[in-house]
Amino acid sequence: MSTTILGISSFYHDSAAALVRDGEIVAAAQEERFSRKKHDPRFPRHAINYCLEEAFIEADELDAIVFYDNPLLTWDRVVKNCVMAGEPAFEQFEKAAASILGIKLWVQDYARRTLGCLGRSGRVLFTDHHFAHAASAFYPSPFREAAILTLDGVGEWDTTAIGRGDDDGIELAQVIEYPHSLGLLYSAFTYFCGFKVNSGEYKLMGLAPYGRPVYERIIRDNLIDLKDDGSFRLNMEYFGYLDSFRMTNERFDALFGGPPRQPESRITRREMDLAMSVQAVLEDAVLRLARHARRESGAPNLVMAGGVALNCVANGKLLREGIFDHIWIQPASGDAGGALGAALMAAHGYFGSPRRMSPGGRDTLKGSYLGPAYSSAEVRAFLERHGYPYERIEDPDGRARTVAQALADGKVTGFLSGRMEFGPRALGARSIIGDPRSETMQSTMNLKIKYRESFRPFAPSCLAENAAEYFDLDVESPYMLLVAPVREERCIPFDREAFYNNEDMLQIINQARSDLPAITHVDFSARVQTVHPDDHPDYYRLIRAFREITGFGVIINTSFNVRGEPIVCSPADAYRCFMRTEMDLLVLEDCLLWKSNQPAFAEAGDWRKDYELD
Amino acid sequence: MSRQLLEYHSVIGYRFIPGLKARVEHEAGGYLVRTNGAGFRCDREFLPARGPSRRALLFGDSYTAGDGVSNGKRYGDLLETMVPNLEVYNFGLSGSGTDQQYLAYREFARGIERDLVIIAVFVENIMRVNARYRFFRNENNEEVLYEKPYFSLGAEGLTLHGVPPERRPLREMDLPPDARSRIDAGGRFASLRLLARRLGIKDLAQRITRYNPVVEYNRPDDPRWLLMRALLAEWIREIGGPVLVVPVPLYQFIEGTSDPSCYQARFAELARDTGCHLHDPLPDLKAYPKEERRAFRFARDVHYTPAGHRALAASLAPAVQSILDAAGS
Ligand SMILES: [Fe+2]
Repeated sequence: MSTTILGISSFYHDSAAALVRDGEIVAAAQEERFSRKKHDPRFPRHAINYCLEEAFIEADELDAIVFYDNPLLTWDRVVKNCVMAGEPAFEQFEKAAASILGIKLWVQDYARRTLGCLGRSGRVLFTDHHFAHAASAFYPSPFREAAILTLDGVGEWDTTAIGRGDDDGIELAQVIEYPHSLGLLYSAFTYFCGFKVNSGEYKLMGLAPYGRPVYERIIRDNLIDLKDDGSFRLNMEYFGYLDSFRMTNERFDALFGGPPRQPESRITRREMDLAMSVQAVLEDAVLRLARHARRESGAPNLVMAGGVALNCVANGKLLREGIFDHIWIQPASGDAGGALGAALMAAHGYFGSPRRMSPGGRDTLKGSYLGPAYSSAEVRAFLERHGYPYERIEDPDGRARTVAQALADGKVTGFLSGRMEFGPRALGARSIIGDPRSETMQSTMNLKIKYRESFRPFAPSCLAENAAEYFDLDVESPYMLLVAPVREERCIPFDREAFYNNEDMLQIINQARSDLPAITHVDFSARVQTVHPDDHPDYYRLIRAFREITGFGVIINTSFNVRGEPIVCSPADAYRCFMRTEMDLLVLEDCLLWKSNQPAFAEAGDWRKDYELD
Repeated sequence: MSRQLLEYHSVIGYRFIPGLKARVEHEAGGYLVRTNGAGFRCDREFLPARGPSRRALLFGDSYTAGDGVSNGKRYGDLLETMVPNLEVYNFGLSGSGTDQQYLAYREFARGIERDLVIIAVFVENIMRVNARYRFFRNENNEEVLYEKPYFSLGAEGLTLHGVPPERRPLREMDLPPDARSRIDAGGRFASLRLLARRLGIKDLAQRITRYNPVVEYNRPDDPRWLLMRALLAEWIREIGGPVLVVPVPLYQFIEGTSDPSCYQARFAELARDTGCHLHDPLPDLKAYPKEERRAFRFARDVHYTPAGHRALAASLAPAVQSILDAAGS
């Protein structure tokens, strides 16, 4: 008999839903994509609706509804330390705690109201937070057995877990508990450098190569006691999150020469050096934990999840260190991925669905293209309804050639194709794409399209089989979770000393660093996505066509949104974003829209006010 | 936040997007919508030639298309399970008037072999037939005003206007004053209704006043009824074969807060004069206990619940069966 399970993560940060049928991942999506509220922590009713839509089943056909976390444990911690809940989540939790039903029944009540019923079992099941992360990493991975490492800010009481997965399931053997957390250490520096906690961590990582690790010693001596086995303790005298709504306190300020940077103010050398320093400490901790996990588990391969596993610079180091033969990282590593993990946990652990392995030796996450697709008929219905001019090119190769030529001509293109990605990265289904050969493209795309600071490099997408022509990378990186060096012969050396003494980041950015300047970071690295034809044939075809025209099988891939906006989901979202920015071309499935042909786009109010900087 | 379900059609005004699989968020949780290649909410593809099954073509508005319930739970689909060897082609179109349903017949159904055509007239449709514009709630839950095709009745009979209708939404303020009176807001006294709902006394208020939601049927010579009647008569004549007209009652009639006798009399006259079959499901629906009848509509949405669809199908099935049997013998 078939078993269908809905997983839910909610009330903390980035709510999501996922649906698993007989162990196969059918659908997964984050609530923010539908509600258009970034990192929406509310109960994911739209994402749930989508999951049932994709599976095309009634709510009463669900065998189980599983929540990714034990809210009693989380509430216990939230009550004890207020800050990490974040305000909206805190309010919801407060309501729950005040409810006479108790938290679990309250979650159940939410689910019942959203779904109309609670499926066949009539109740909601709850997993443990780190088990959900572990399941999201292990079950879709290509490994029969693997060591498991989950690293996040905090889930329930744990921040770090080490275990193993095999045919008997998942076992977590060792944990590190709150408040000792690599995620929170990194978030503290994110906050201190003037970025938003829970989403600005990526910026801190992008800033690191501009700096030198001059504060590394201070961090090790004062903030973290890191043992050989990777276990660690933070010195809470410097952190604010136990007893206030701030991540850091005055003692932290004193240690690093003054108060935190104000958001949106100029980024100084101090922030660049702090970013590099904490990155170095984090990488060391991850490597030690990985060595320990290898010894303890005896397994040759590693799987990872949890917010810290999104640190692709650390992941790249881990890969090159060769501690494990292979590593696989869950791309939806934040709490959104907990929804998927919870569903997988229930499928395999509770209902005993046999694990599905891909015959080709690849993972079973389907390229993370687990969200909604919109048919050509739906796209045309939208365009016709509004009278937006478009050109339809039904032949996939002809379409790829046209778009590739536009890219080669310097056109910036919004690309909506196939099922939306699950997880924080755009992988060619909801992407803005451009020509990586251009020296000005990084600045142009940042300022005219993303409306954000321009120190962050863009990521390249390349054909899986050509990756080694451009990068020192001999494995697949389908989820853009590995940073790899750009091949040396492509790089253009520059004066490092002058660079470190230069405070003007824009001047550095506009300096060509390789023959692919827009995707080469200042340390000659790139955050690579390798594109496999099975995962996304249309995207693969496009890059191949670009290679035929230009000789380069690499394009720029950045998420299809403006700063602070959730990545677009529907054709309507995509059109709105296209018209608000200086993109030249919009591809909606087989329909092409040129900006120059579109009628003026009138909007009430200033949309920029809707979105905050990370 | 649900998907866009409808697309522009240059004659009818709109139809469902072909090949759609969607789940629509709804107060009762949500419901599954599947459309076929012709752009109708039907699990069957429309084939011109009939196979061994007996075939009924079913026309109507959202009560027939099944707003609020999944495809398989609609009365049209349930009929297939109650009448042996029957296939139902569902041409129901949400928010449409009988005029647009007639156009849907002309555009999509004329060449399809069938044993029976069922025209389900949600009694409120008479307002839409007399309207040139209608408010819709779109997938973003915004109220948008669209133009619709419509007929007028003159000495030479029916004339079609407003084709092709404007594809983009209109603003009420941009319409000339006389045109504004031809907007169907989905019911009369919208603001009064809102107030009553807010006070929580809607049912009570209706009972006290014997509120009649469809005064257009009050007199046989009301021009609004005459237009509706002419449309149905023309359509029935054009079909040629067996036609079953089903007045689908508003909940006020089912729950006994309004008097149905006027519309019942008008449809009886229509059947007498055109020779069509008529099945009024109201007596069957009213025979259920009060609590069950209330459960024929949702808590807030007035569309039929799965229970309402079951009750309607149960009432219809014997009528359909007997027409098919008579035609077959
Ligand atoms: Fe977590």
